[in-house]
Amino acid sequence: MARRPTRKRNPKKKASRRVNKARKPAKSSKTSESKKKGKAKKTGKAKKSSKANKSRKAKQSDNPIVNFFKRIPWRRLILAGFLIFVAYTVYLDFVVRGQFEDKRWALPAQVYARPLELYEGLTLKANDFERELNLLNYRYAYDPSEAGMFQRHGNKFKIVTRPFTFWDVKENSQPIEVVFSGDQISSIKNIHNKNEIALLRLDPVLVGGIYPLKKEDRKLVSLDDVPELLPEILVAIEDRKFYDHYGIDPLAIARAFIANIRAGKSVQGGSTITQQLVKNFFLSNERTLWRKFNEVIMAVSLDFHYEKNDIIQAYINEIYLGQDGARAIHGFGLASEYYFAKPIHQLDLNQMATLVALIRGPSYYHPDKHPDRLLARRDRILDGLLEQKVISADLLTRTKALPINIVENRRTGSRQHPAFLNLIKRQLRELYPESKLSSEGLRIFTTMNPVVQLDVEQRVKQRVEKLSKQRGLGKKLQSAVVIANSTSAEVIAMVGDRNPRFAGFNRALDASRPIGSLIKPVVYLAALEQSDKYSWASKIDDKSISLKARDESIWTPMNYDRQSHGSVTLITAMTKSYNQATVRLGLDVGFPAINKTYKNLGGPNDLPAYPAILLGAQNLTPFQVTQLYQTLAANGFRSPLRSIREVLDVDDQPLKRYPIKVKQSIDSDLVNVINSGLIQVTKQGTARSLSNRLPADLHVAGKTGTTNDTRDSWFAGFTGSHVGVVWMGTDENLSTGLTGSSGALKLWGDIFTQINTTGLALEQTDGVDIQWVDPETGLLSKASCSNSLQLAFIDDTAPTESGECQGTRTGSGIRDRFDRTFEWFKRIFR
Amino acid sequence: MKWIIYIVSTFTLLACATTKQASVQLPGEDPQQTVAPDKNTSSAVISLLEKARDATTQGDYQRAEVLLERTVRIEPRNASLWHYLAKLRLHQARFSEAIGLAQKSNNLARSNNHLKADNWRIIAHSKYQLGDVSGAQAAQAKAKNLGNQ
Repeated sequence: MARRPTRKRNPKKKASRRVNKARKPAKSSKTSESKKKGKAKKTGKAKKSSKANKSRKAKQSDNPIVNFFKRIPWRRLILAGFLIFVAYTVYLDFVVRGQFEDKRWALPAQVYARPLELYEGLTLKANDFERELNLLNYRYAYDPSEAGMFQRHGNKFKIVTRPFTFWDVKENSQPIEVVFSGDQISSIKNIHNKNEIALLRLDPVLVGGIYPLKKEDRKLVSLDDVPELLPEILVAIEDRKFYDHYGIDPLAIARAFIANIRAGKSVQGGSTITQQLVKNFFLSNERTLWRKFNEVIMAVSLDFHYEKNDIIQAYINEIYLGQDGARAIHGFGLASEYYFAKPIHQLDLNQMATLVALIRGPSYYHPDKHPDRLLARRDRILDGLLEQKVISADLLTRTKALPINIVENRRTGSRQHPAFLNLIKRQLRELYPESKLSSEGLRIFTTMNPVVQLDVEQRVKQRVEKLSKQRGLGKKLQSAVVIANSTSAEVIAMVGDRNPRFAGFNRALDASRPIGSLIKPVVYLAALEQSDKYSWASKIDDKSISLKARDESIWTPMNYDRQSHGSVTLITAMTKSYNQATVRLGLDVGFPAINKTYKNLGGPNDLPAYPAILLGAQNLTPFQVTQLYQTLAANGFRSPLRSIREVLDVDDQPLKRYPIKVKQSIDSDLVNVINSGLIQVTKQGTARSLSNRLPADLHVAGKTGTTNDTRDSWFAGFTGSHVGVVWMGTDENLSTGLTGSSGALKLWGDIFTQINTTGLALEQTDGVDIQWVDPETGLLSKASCSNSLQLAFIDDTAPTESGECQGTRTGSGIRDRFDRTFEWFKRIFR
Repeated sequence: MKWIIYIVSTFTLLACATTKQASVQLPGEDPQQTVAPDKNTSSAVISLLEKARDATTQGDYQRAEVLLERTVRIEPRNASLWHYLAKLRLHQARFSEAIGLAQKSNNLARSNNHLKADNWRIIAHSKYQLGDVSGAQAAQAKAKNLGNQ
């Protein structure tokens, strides 16, 4: 789309002109040389006529001023002045040609979200679909007739899609009907030919750009893309004699001069389109005579060398038409997308006149702040067009009756999702320097799901504010979130600050904090790998323990409830997050084995071998934790987290792909086993509050983490399709009073109740045996027993002895909850 | 279902052309071992597979890659799609990636021994190319074993 236009030139014509031009100064320098020679001859004669000179001197006047002026060699001075002028003109001419020829506008990289793929059976809420259309600036229309319009009637959408060029296929515009039933797409048809459409990809949401320091943004267009009427309007309004003058229009300048003197202020500009272009291209904004002088010379030079069409095309691409936060909207190509959400060739008269109205002052005629001014200016432009017979009276009346239909919610530019942009910049920086990112017009296709990203941002804000109020933490409580697809490891949302729009410290990538109990699945997985020794039903000791720490002091880790629980099963120690049992288990398994598991999961470093590591003394960022849990979520297949799928250059040519890579780094059966335990964490362990929030059939696995004095609150969890990590804490490392369950888990639940995700299924594979077990005794049990859990075991390691059945489970969720409450009562009154 | 034959035969031809010195049996050499997409594969995915086939026949592997990745995004648990991606990597001589993808396919293949055998052949071949002869032989044995079942 953003194509660098090729400038048509007439090399022959120019070449001949250039030759003529070049000769002039050469000629003049020759003449000056011959004059010098002449001078030299004269000096020879001079001695002979010295007498005559003396007598001439005597005649000189006594007035020194007159003498001074008389002594000035006027002819030479004028000649020198002329030479300087010529040289300067040649210089300006050189500057103009050089810069205009390789004037390469710095084109910011455009960053796109993942495109939405539509097909029958896709799980998607109709409302989320409409949100996506709105993010894409599709406009509601009763009868969608052109690309970028849609209509919704209950569960039925009529849409005219936009064409879009992807890496693999160019998607054409087509009128479609999408029908939803429940939260699924039940059919997609082409409205014209009634054919079923198997798969359809919408254009992707533009989520931002990577801008140079000046923050100019534009979308280059060539004159062929522009409606023919636009240059006509520009000429009629800005510069009537554009096609006749030589870059400047002295009459217009004079007219403006008189008008301005009469009015006592600047009311009229005499600048031609060429002058305006020169001003924008090469010159500063100051209003001095010197600048005007340069402007005139450069305009004439530009007009001399280039076709009128080249000049007007450059003008159309260069002119400043508005401000979007820090981003400056330049050129009609971008302006038509920014203001009207459509490509330039689709603009109608009303829209073109509106954009031309903005040239005189995008802030003075600001469409939101001064709609009346803009409307009045548009009407004046339309009148002017009639006056010059560009449009008919009939068209004038009809167009004037139209409102200015500018897209209301049009902030599409920078800093919308700073954390995510920060992530992709980092990934790209390995390949491209920042200067290239902000100038080459690259098109970057990311993995962001824009609807989920917005949901996550909103949830972060709400939950952090709520917790801050409850705990009196003011603005200090911070949070970071990473959400990724588990199989493809594509990051779909990221937030790095309690204010997701604030582009500051990105905690998701840069806040490296102790991970606390999030390390426990690593320790337990390492244990379960020794399947001859450990299963979920094995017993370990939760007795208190004292160890020598790194600094030779004595380290006595304690359970959160400051109790010892005697001999407990592995599953209980993990779901209740017992520290004492875990340290004992970890010491038995050994650091090398734990480190190996940690590295296989995607740990970025070697774990140091000291006891506190077993309880998560290791610092990791939320992003790094997501990598560890991604491997578990993807059944032991580790994939590097990705935020970019592909990069195209400005001409839609493929530049770079980031393919899906998978590597089996942990045995899938073992992952099944550990995941069966992590599911229990969310059912009856430290994260059980989740089970009240999520639908009963949505199995979720995860682990809470809390560090010393509640400085960090973590939750890492996954469903069958997504993995998400939430951190909460303060930058000053203060105690927040928030545990993993009372802080991060709440936000995780907010997010996962909102997004569209599938449950995690325990798989009955050849190497795995799924059994109901009593977590207290580690003996076999039954599904109907209220004290039983479903767990996976490596084949031949499941318990064989059956235990007692304590009460029966009716299977209803309400009964379950009742049982849980009852158990709680029992515990209290024991 | 002509296109399945297209995909497989293209891949096979290419495999034969690039790997004459291999002592292991090549994936898909035996037409009986060809892999059809799962019965439940959606028409959305089928439409992409058709395009991927076209791209492969034109030698445009990069385009085929993008199209196949789209299929696994739509149906991440469809074992044959990962298999196709693995085969593509094999032909791009990206052997370690091919191994990972074939393992992924195996992990999802459940009782489809036919598919598993083909995946093991990809692994065997890739390991051979990476210089892991004993690993290649072990994988080849697994393929044979599954093929006989």
